[in-house]
Amino acid sequence: MIALLWSITIVSLLATLIISVCGIVAKPNLVKKLIALTIFSDTANVLVVLLGYRVIYPVKPPILPQLSKTALGEFVKTAVDPLPQALVITAVVIGMAVNILIAFAIIQIYRIYGTLDVREVGKTLPELLRRGEA
Amino acid sequence: MKRLIGLLILLITVLGVAFYIAQNITPPKDLHPLGEYYLENSYFGEHSAKSPEVVTSILWDYRGVDTLFETAVFFLAIIGSLTLFRLNKEQAEEARQGQPKPQLPEPVVVVTKLTVAMILAVSASIALHGQLTPGGGFQGGSALAVAPLLVIAAYTKYALEKNGLDKTRAIIIRSIGLLGIALTALTPLLANGYIMQNQPIFPGEALGVPLGGSLVLYNLFEYLAVGAGFTAVFLLLSIPEKKFKKFLGVRR
Amino acid sequence: MIEIHLTILAIAALIGLIASYLAITEKDLLKAVGYSAIQAIAYAIIFYLLMAPDIVLAYVAIAVGIYSALLIFIIGKTERYEVV
Repeated sequence: MIALLWSITIVSLLATLIISVCGIVAKPNLVKKLIALTIFSDTANVLVVLLGYRVIYPVKPPILPQLSKTALGEFVKTAVDPLPQALVITAVVIGMAVNILIAFAIIQIYRIYGTLDVREVGKTLPELLRRGEA
Repeated sequence: MKRLIGLLILLITVLGVAFYIAQNITPPKDLHPLGEYYLENSYFGEHSAKSPEVVTSILWDYRGVDTLFETAVFFLAIIGSLTLFRLNKEQAEEARQGQPKPQLPEPVVVVTKLTVAMILAVSASIALHGQLTPGGGFQGGSALAVAPLLVIAAYTKYALEKNGLDKTRAIIIRSIGLLGIALTALTPLLANGYIMQNQPIFPGEALGVPLGGSLVLYNLFEYLAVGAGFTAVFLLLSIPEKKFKKFLGVRR
Repeated sequence: MIEIHLTILAIAALIGLIASYLAITEKDLLKAVGYSAIQAIAYAIIFYLLMAPDIVLAYVAIAVGIYSALLIFIIGKTERYEVV
């Protein structure tokens, strides 16, 4: 029972990963590509935190509840791993900063080319280069 | 209709594969030795950071240089965004002309005032006790970024600028935050330590409250930097599109 | 007792899968932003059940607040419907 529920979680997260990569590659609209990129990076972060979890009971977050040495022994026996959580906080903030830069670039592409379809941008750019405007 | 059929096929495939591999998987029950070292040493050990919150002490003390470079990446992304939407002096003056008249009905405006005041208090509280409970600089800064968004939506952006928070002031606040982080990272060099050293140098307790050494200073300055960076980005994004088309000379 | 945690974890992961599939195959971009917000809430529940409270605070503010606002700003300045 426990192994079945754990494997349902892992397989559905892997399926979300595959769907979002298909979404980045196959959809020609730039805003849809940005939405699929955010889903992809969020799922990768969940998979990293899943590596640090312990399937025991009772399980506690990695925060020392009382400042005494007797609490320390029980704390080490029941707390989850703190290192993946620190790495994921860093990854979430960096991903968000890069997505803001991509959003500004999308708005600027729309102002210059007039369309959000990457196939149209690919057709317009060689014309502009040949005419010497871009 | 085609989408729903695709969704059903996807769900049945996922459940089938999960049944098939469930026999070979054992869920983990033990800690890695490095995680155990951090859990033991964070408050009571011999390499301690005097903070009962293990994740914040990993972020700013044991792996502090990672977070310093992450702050640098965030800074570069904000600079890149501000450069793409650059305006010269007359265009910036013209982008600030407008009427600060709220355009939504009266109950929405009143509730927005209350919510913005509560967001300011709650986000400062999250950022300042990051060394005792879950929280810290990044969490408080992201929560603070929602407040100018609500003000731009309910009142217009001109109300925010006429009360003194324009793009230049937001960039000044962000620079103060980044300068604070740099100074706190370089201070241990004066006492013959190394860069971003925490424990023998900064005080571990004040008036009976565990301070975590330099963690509380790092959290405060990161809070200011992240919140002000987002405010500058939203102030640039909310300039209406008609004005930008006139500035760029777009023909369409 | 641990089966309750793991059941809610599995249900939240399945809701995330459904919401992200609907977000990627939707032609009206405002509805895609709404489905993406549902997926972010499901992932916030997963982070809470994996005992990571710091990540929940940062992730809820970023994914439900800032990403949705950013995407609505972009859609307001460009087009609303996707052309396939």
